[in-house]
Amino acid sequence: MPETQAVTKKTNPLPIEALKCGHCGKLVPGPREICPACHEPALVPHMAAGSGALSSWTMIRRPPAAFREEKEYAVAIVTLDAGIKVTGRLETPDDRLEPGARVLAVGFHKGVPVFRAV
Amino acid sequence: MREVVVTGIGSTPFGKLEGRRIESLAIEAANAALHRAGLDRKSVGAVYLGNFVAGPLSGQEVLAGIVADELGLENVPCTKVEGACASGGIAFRHAVLAVSSGLCDAALVVGVEKMTHATGGQVTQALNCAMDNRSDGPSGLTFPGLFGLAWRIHAAKYGTTRDEVSAVVIKNKANGLKNPLAQMGASLSLDVIRQSQMIADPLQLYDCCPVSDGAAALVVVAKDRARGAPDLPIDILAAVQTRGSARIAGHEDVVSFEATVKAAERAYAAASVGPKDIDFVELHDCFSMAEVIDSEDLGLVPRGEGAKWAAQGRTGMDGDIPINPSGGLLAKGHPVGATGVGQLYETVLQLRGQHSNQVKDAAIGMTHNLGGTGVACTVSILRRPDA
Repeated sequence: MPETQAVTKKTNPLPIEALKCGHCGKLVPGPREICPACHEPALVPHMAAGSGALSSWTMIRRPPAAFREEKEYAVAIVTLDAGIKVTGRLETPDDRLEPGARVLAVGFHKGVPVFRAV
Repeated sequence: MREVVVTGIGSTPFGKLEGRRIESLAIEAANAALHRAGLDRKSVGAVYLGNFVAGPLSGQEVLAGIVADELGLENVPCTKVEGACASGGIAFRHAVLAVSSGLCDAALVVGVEKMTHATGGQVTQALNCAMDNRSDGPSGLTFPGLFGLAWRIHAAKYGTTRDEVSAVVIKNKANGLKNPLAQMGASLSLDVIRQSQMIADPLQLYDCCPVSDGAAALVVVAKDRARGAPDLPIDILAAVQTRGSARIAGHEDVVSFEATVKAAERAYAAASVGPKDIDFVELHDCFSMAEVIDSEDLGLVPRGEGAKWAAQGRTGMDGDIPINPSGGLLAKGHPVGATGVGQLYETVLQLRGQHSNQVKDAAIGMTHNLGGTGVACTVSILRRPDA
C-alpha cells in the first residue's frame, strides 16, 4: 500500500486488507504472525469490505511527535460487516455521531483506512 | 509458599523534580526503604526495578544494577522489569515470588521514572511504545485517545455524563491536597472542568494525569524474618499479574479490560476475601474514565455505575469504597514505572494508620496497576497483621 493515498470521494466502500487463515479459515484484522484460532502460520492477505458500524471515535488534539504536523485528527474504532474490528481515521467527526452509526472506508491515510459516516 | 510482608518503605515526592537524574531518584527512595527495613543489606537477595521509558527519555538502562551498586548490595540478581504503566506492580510481584518461594529472605522493589525534562511530543511518543504498534499505533491513536474512545462507549451504554465523570476528578484532586507527596492536588468545580481544554474528545485536560518524575521503593521480607523491623510489617495476601490484549481489536469493547477482571478474580481467591472486604483501593486512574472502568472491573462498583458512584460520593473518603485516597494518578502524579510501587507505599501507610489522608479503620487494602491497552495488569491485596 502506498505511504499516502488521496482520500477519494467514492461512495462505494474501499476494501480493507485483513488476514485469513489458509488452514482454518479464520478472518482476523492484521498484522499478525500466526492464526489466533489454530496457531498455524498460515495467514494470507484477504480483502474485507470496508463497510461497518462505528464503535467509537475521538479527536486527537495532542498528537505524538510522529503525527505532530497533522495538528489534530479523528481516530475511530470500526466493526466491519465482516466481523473484525479495525482502528482507523474518521473523516467526518461530529458530536452527534453515536456508536453504531454506519461508516464506509473512503480512502487511506499512511496505510490506515479513513471512514466516512453515511 | 512462605508468608511475606512489606517492611521498609520509601518515596520521593511525585512531580516536576528539576535537576534530578533518574538514578538519583531511585537511589533516594530505595535507600530510605532499606533504612526503614531494619535489616542487614547483605540479606537482600534480589532487586526488581520497575521502569518504562528511561531508555528513550534519559538514555539510561541497567538501572537495577546501578541502583544496587550505589546501595552497597551484594552481587545479587538485579532485574529491570517492564510492563508499561504496570512496571512497578510487576516488579513488586516478582519480589514477592522470590521471597515466598524461598529463593531469598528479602528483596528490594524500586519503581522510578523521569519524564518532565522531555517535550510533550517526546513523552507521548515514548508512552506510545506501550501500544501494539503494528495495529493501533499507525492510526495516530494516543492513550488519552483510548480513553476518549472508551468514554463515548461508556456514555452510550450506561448514560454516563460529563458531570458524573468530573466527580472522579474532583474527588481525586481533593484527596491529593492532603497528600504531601502529590504533584497536583486541587480544589476544582464542575464548571472549571467543563471549560478546560479538549484533549481527546470528550476527554478534557483535568481528566488526564500529569507527566511526572518520581520514585518509590519497598522491602519485601519473609514474615518469620521480619520480627526486628522498626515499622509494622504489613501482610501481603495476594500479588497477581495477568495479561490482556495489546490491541483494541482484541477487546470486546474498551469499557472493560479482561486483564483487570482476571487479576481481581485471582487476587480475591488468593487472599480469600471478596470485594466487600476491601476497605480502600489505590487504582490506576491515568484518566478519569480509567478509574470508572477499573472500579467496575475490580468488582468494587456495579457494572456501568463507576461514575455514578463517584457523583453520589460512594467512592469518597467516607463512602462505601474509598478510591484513591492518595489522590491517585490524577493528583499524585504518574511517574510511569514508579506508579505501582507508589500505590503500595500509600497502601502500607494506610494499613499502619499513618496516612495523611487516613481511611478510618483501614484493615485490608487493594492496589491495581494497568499497563498499555490493557496488556499487563497487577492486583495486590495487603492486610494489617492484627486485622
